[in-house]
Amino acid sequence: MAKPFHKKLFEKIIEGILTLSGSITSLAVILIVIFLFKEGLGLFNQSPIAKGFVLVVNKNNPVNTLDAKSIKNIFDHEITNWKKVGGERDTIILFYLDDINSIYTEEQIGQNLENLPTLFSNLTDSISGIIAFIPKTYINSDFKGKVITTDNIKVSKFLSGKEWFPTAEPAAQVGILPLILGTLWVSIGAILLSLPLGLAVSIYLAEIAHPRVRNTFKPIIELLAGIPSVVYGFFGLVVIVPLIQSVFNLPVGETALAGSIILAIMALPTIITIAEDSIRTTPRSMKEASLALGASRWQTIYKIVIPYSISGITAAAILGIGRAIGETMAVLMVTGNAASIPHSFLEPVRTIPATIAAELGESSQGGMHYQALFILGSILFVITLIVNLTVEYISSKQKLAKR
Amino acid sequence: MTLERRKELERSKKRSEKIAFGTFRAMSLLVVGILFVILGFIIIKGISVISWDFITKMPEDGMTKGGIYPAIIGTFCLIGGSMIFSFPIGVLSGIYINEYASNGLVVRFIRLMTNNLAGIPSIVFGLFGMSLFVNTLGFGDSIIAGSLTLGLMTLPIVIRTTEEALKSVDNSFRQGSYALGATKLQTIRRVTLPIAYPNIITGLILSIGRVSGETAPILFTVAAYFLPKLPHSIFDQVMALPYHLYVLATSGTNIEESRPMAYGTALVLIMIVLFLNLIANALRKYFSKKVKMN
Amino acid sequence: MKRVIISVIVLAFAINSQAQRIKGSDTMLPLSQKEAETFMKNNSSNKVTVTGGGSGVGIAALIDGTTDLAQASRKLKMDEKIKLQEAGVTYKEVIAAYDALAVVVNPENKVGQLTREQLEGIFIGKIKNWKEVGGDDAKIIVYSRETSSGTYEFFKEHVMNKKNFANDVLSMPATGAIIQSVSQTKGAIGYVGLAYIDKSIKALKVSYDKGKTFIAPSMETAKNKTYPVVRPLYYYYSSKVEAKVKSYLDFVLSTEGQKIVEQVGYVPLK
Repeated sequence: MAKPFHKKLFEKIIEGILTLSGSITSLAVILIVIFLFKEGLGLFNQSPIAKGFVLVVNKNNPVNTLDAKSIKNIFDHEITNWKKVGGERDTIILFYLDDINSIYTEEQIGQNLENLPTLFSNLTDSISGIIAFIPKTYINSDFKGKVITTDNIKVSKFLSGKEWFPTAEPAAQVGILPLILGTLWVSIGAILLSLPLGLAVSIYLAEIAHPRVRNTFKPIIELLAGIPSVVYGFFGLVVIVPLIQSVFNLPVGETALAGSIILAIMALPTIITIAEDSIRTTPRSMKEASLALGASRWQTIYKIVIPYSISGITAAAILGIGRAIGETMAVLMVTGNAASIPHSFLEPVRTIPATIAAELGESSQGGMHYQALFILGSILFVITLIVNLTVEYISSKQKLAKR
Repeated sequence: MTLERRKELERSKKRSEKIAFGTFRAMSLLVVGILFVILGFIIIKGISVISWDFITKMPEDGMTKGGIYPAIIGTFCLIGGSMIFSFPIGVLSGIYINEYASNGLVVRFIRLMTNNLAGIPSIVFGLFGMSLFVNTLGFGDSIIAGSLTLGLMTLPIVIRTTEEALKSVDNSFRQGSYALGATKLQTIRRVTLPIAYPNIITGLILSIGRVSGETAPILFTVAAYFLPKLPHSIFDQVMALPYHLYVLATSGTNIEESRPMAYGTALVLIMIVLFLNLIANALRKYFSKKVKMN
Repeated sequence: MKRVIISVIVLAFAINSQAQRIKGSDTMLPLSQKEAETFMKNNSSNKVTVTGGGSGVGIAALIDGTTDLAQASRKLKMDEKIKLQEAGVTYKEVIAAYDALAVVVNPENKVGQLTREQLEGIFIGKIKNWKEVGGDDAKIIVYSRETSSGTYEFFKEHVMNKKNFANDVLSMPATGAIIQSVSQTKGAIGYVGLAYIDKSIKALKVSYDKGKTFIAPSMETAKNKTYPVVRPLYYYYSSKVEAKVKSYLDFVLSTEGQKIVEQVGYVPLK
């Protein structure tokens, strides 16, 4: 039976649409990569000095370049002598744009600020220890001072930097080590709490519990996954934070531990579902052989079932960590968000997702801070990609082994 | 080995089994207990706040009085918007993977990408949505930008459930249809989809549950702190329940007075999500029984 | 379905062309919201929508032309000025009101007043214990706003002599969260807008003359300019839409509008 041409065409079109839909997720992942990096990569090879501004010093000052860290320390009055940054023994004198009003009169500055370039030029020329933070537009060709050059932001510095002051002036400090460590602390804490618990529950459900018990417990645990993260955050804020504060007698309750507890609860359903599925795949024959040899059910579980399903359990743990690393709102509400390197679980920490959620709205779009936040997003993306691929690898190996 | 010793061993084996099983049971009860503590806490604190006015009135007096009507409407707008996008594409994609894609490598790749998409943190979706929909495409903070972002996020759920639903359709149905001279497309439309349909609906409901609870993706794509009026078009911003709860919990000029509102909002949000989950579960059970009877 | 979408889109443009859109700083939300409400009541033909997102979001919207007024709790940054210039937007700036920032502690804290120098020491992390400033022997827990908020930057500039915060300060996503935490935490210190002060926290007297006079933050001291930590709140707009936004701005600056400023808890211009 020959089909009419237009019908064939119709089928081809539909097939085309289906193929297109099939590739939608791949397309989405690629688009996400493109847009995250497009917005973020501009951060590197850019000066950390605020856009449109320069740092100038006296022309006799031997210092030519300063790194972002020293600039911050100078303007925080931590470094007060040029000798510390490789210059001569001379006190550092800070000069901000606004200070001009306390040195010169309105008349001297001029009605339309037309005298400013000359004044800045004279000022940097007359004060030997000066470092001035002024707009680029006020630097003329006959400027008598010297413009300080700064190292551009490098990937290595970005990853290993210990200070996160993305809006600091004159030089932004974009070191994300505290954020990375904060994220890891909270996530690892969460997995330490939830893995034993999740494992116990999945063993109980898969091997021990009566089917009736299992059928009641399973949907209840799945409900845990349905509760929105902001509700968990709210619960953490009003219940867990004060609880931790009083139990450990701490000055503050907003700690990594609070975040870990909340994340542990949130990761439980993921861990339990995957681990239980994996435990259930243990062949009946193996279990029966063990029991026939006189082993108890418990011995069978920890000598046969767990070793057999260990890769599934590992996958569950890794996926749980992945979930925890990416969780935003709940963590934002309970961890206190202090961007310092954590030393214990009872200190406030700041995670990568929380940083993005809290800061993106106020940052100037396309600016350095904005770019830094997109790079943080890219890092999160890469981490979760690695997590997923690892899980994929483990489970494909598991399937092969069981064939 | 003496008999005494063997008995001793046997007894210790029993004992350790008892301890282990007891611990496991206790831990399972603990997990279930956690859920009830959280739910119970929100319900007890929130139930007194909920009233007809709370659900149908605008927030008043710096969010310390009035209701959460615009946030509820906003959440429904986002649910509708994201489903218009993700449901058709997700179902089509699922059909392609299960019925059309013949190359195993292609299927594996698509599955891998779908899993990757499912694993991406919600805040990253927020960043992406802001960059593509809000800025590059120029939608601004709007229902359409938020819906597309949320829709993208729920795609994997729809795709997976569709795929599973199609997979559960017995091959004999398809072969029967082919034998009668139907084309592949006709078979899918007339035979496979109608059988798989109930399970696909379950996936839809689950993704609605996800959409109604997410905060991070809508932070920078649609959510408004406060709007004096309801949205008029898909280019308007809306308030949304999860973001509203976040706002009530952390900002506002009078946090103590807006606390009850926060409990009420949390309860409404939880009720919506749990209700959807229960429906999905019930549907799944109902239809699986029906299929068995056939 | 398609028809619905198209008609919705058409409707969108029809409505958007009339409304005045205000967007930006969350600090200014309660103010703009209340002003807009009264303004619309007086003039039923006017439509004003107010949305937040943060000062940066508002200014970005001004650059893109997706808002008419950007509300900001900080001045424009240099790179934002450059971008406005590149986009060909000549902007105007209007100060709508002032906001006094109060330094707050837990009500149980003995300390009732601090000098600017002491505050600086506390917030940059040099002073770590309350006994160094006359209080009990307890660790000082510093709460701050997010680094990008206008409040954060103003506090840094005017109280901390432009030095950076210590990196172990806890940063809170919103002022309400600071109030909440300070009221729960004995050793806490934080800063909030005057409008947010309530019984659950204690506002400190502040001295800007090395301890000679201490001034408590209040509407009176902020109005007569004796309280030192006061910041302006801005509206920015493109001169192209001046005709459209003028009626609203005039209302805000009018006696009635400034009365609302005081009601909401901010400091009127005069």
